[in-house]
Amino acid sequence: MSQPIRDKARELLQTKKVECVIGWERATDGVTARPLFVYDIKDVDRLIFDQTCVHNLSRYLRDRKDKTTAIVAKPCDARGINMLLNEQQLDRQKLFIIGVVCQGVNERCWGQADARQQERCQWCRQHVPPVYDFLVGEKPASEPSAPSYPDIAEFEKKSPEERRAFWEEQYQACIRCNACRHSCPGCYCQECFAENLDPTWVGIRIAPAESQIWNLVRAFHLSGRCVDCGACEQACPVNIPLMLLNRKLQKDGIDFFGFEPGLSAETAPPFATFKKDEKLEGGE
Amino acid sequence: MLFLTGKSLTAWISQLTMDRTVIAPVKGANDLVFFQPVTGSEAIFIKSQNAALSPKDWFFPRSEAIMSFVTKNGKTQIIPAVMEKDAVIFGIRPCDARAISLLDKPFLAEPADALYQERRNRTTLVGIACVTVCQECFCTSMGSGPADPKSLDILLTPADGGFAVQVVTDKGKRLLEKAITQDKELVLPNPPEVKTVPSSGVTEAMRKAFNNIYWDRVADRCIHCNICSFVCPCCYCFDVRDYKEKDKIQRVRSWESCESALFTRAAGGHNPRPSKGARMRQRFAHKLLYFPDIFGDLKCTGCGRCVKNCPVNIDIREIISDVQKLARE
Repeated sequence: MSQPIRDKARELLQTKKVECVIGWERATDGVTARPLFVYDIKDVDRLIFDQTCVHNLSRYLRDRKDKTTAIVAKPCDARGINMLLNEQQLDRQKLFIIGVVCQGVNERCWGQADARQQERCQWCRQHVPPVYDFLVGEKPASEPSAPSYPDIAEFEKKSPEERRAFWEEQYQACIRCNACRHSCPGCYCQECFAENLDPTWVGIRIAPAESQIWNLVRAFHLSGRCVDCGACEQACPVNIPLMLLNRKLQKDGIDFFGFEPGLSAETAPPFATFKKDEKLEGGE
Repeated sequence: MLFLTGKSLTAWISQLTMDRTVIAPVKGANDLVFFQPVTGSEAIFIKSQNAALSPKDWFFPRSEAIMSFVTKNGKTQIIPAVMEKDAVIFGIRPCDARAISLLDKPFLAEPADALYQERRNRTTLVGIACVTVCQECFCTSMGSGPADPKSLDILLTPADGGFAVQVVTDKGKRLLEKAITQDKELVLPNPPEVKTVPSSGVTEAMRKAFNNIYWDRVADRCIHCNICSFVCPCCYCFDVRDYKEKDKIQRVRSWESCESALFTRAAGGHNPRPSKGARMRQRFAHKLLYFPDIFGDLKCTGCGRCVKNCPVNIDIREIISDVQKLARE
């Protein structure tokens, strides 16, 4: 799949349609991938796409808001683009999307050629990017089916005490490096609540109480916005299963509001809209 | 050569835990290995290569109250932090021990950081030589090596049925008094081969490449996530903030990173390092240029944790090679 991406990138740079193409290249371990910014035609042959391309590249687009950019986008990168477009963070006119059909990506395991597929990809039904200008790969004949969350259903079987114990152990490992925040296309507040001084929502201490607040509020701020790309979990240096939290909120978003983030740039997420007469059944 | 059987090692550790804090690698959540206080040798896991985080945490904790203030009846009392017991770090790797000797330079420079100094004086480092290497290691290019005893008090080398013991300092000798050692004829295998990076002369190369557009280009893919600084055994930036609870105020120091945009933002909003490129260069310049200029050594031990953990593969080995090339151009 790499060749058509290279050809398109060359054409876009040659015709000066864009100044830069964001894609992936092979990393220094020889087996994983890393993001690549191509400004010069001589570098287009470094572009690759395969199951090691795990990052959500839409995360970089806000850095290039005013410049013309092409981006190689898997379905979850494209959902990130839709989310950002809906939140008026990007200029669609300056953006060229090279969509790629995706059958799932692997865990980001440094130096490991045999990394297994990410769990979320096993439940993903969105193999074609919901937005693109040029598509690479075979489009499947059938439309995507409804998303499924067997992993969440399984976790929900645990008692509240078991779940609390599980998360307490996980948060214990958190070093509050904020990599989850910075790898995420949806986390772009100019001043994050975690750094707000007045009021101070959460202090600087790297300790269980603070880590718990950080992790919970981070997840909540992405409810109805998380595009299921797994970038946070892949970045976490202490392997906290962040997608378990994110996917629970995704599932609730579907169950309560029938909303899946990033499928269109037109529909605002449920928590970004308010209708005077709206009422949630079965709750306060 | 001095030798400790597995059994006498276990007995020694149990004895040490009676009156000291013993910190050793333990397998924790999600199969990652962290240095943690142990109460015996059962939980200690030394088969792993590098622990997920170095034991830097013991000397320079991720968060600590450096002092407290208590106000009672209108009078304010300042309570300094105290260290309860002497400590032993067991199972530290030579590269992580080297990192502590590098941290000594800023923390023990006059005026010394009192908390760090006390922990340093009252902690003994018992290291284990590496018999295998990780693919991201480059310790021999950074002034250390897989069997380097230099920054340790005692070095243990895995051998048939136990460990060969090399006593490096008097502190180590005193700690070993409680162990049952034996003399044994031993031929230790050669330390494993470690990949190298062109670190020689990199400080001058950094000076020459300082204003190159290269930094902005590499920073394109940097997501300024701070992982590199937080997993680094010799990064030592911190933030200080007061926590108030009723009549007590705690002055808390926590790890911070030069990659974070807020790290250098001043009151009024000015930021002397406003871009990702400026911040990323700062990290490499601190390691390869400023620290060696001030203290004489590169501020890197080649443990490879930043290489392994960077989500976008900003690889210090590649940076060093590139900077050397840029300086020659």
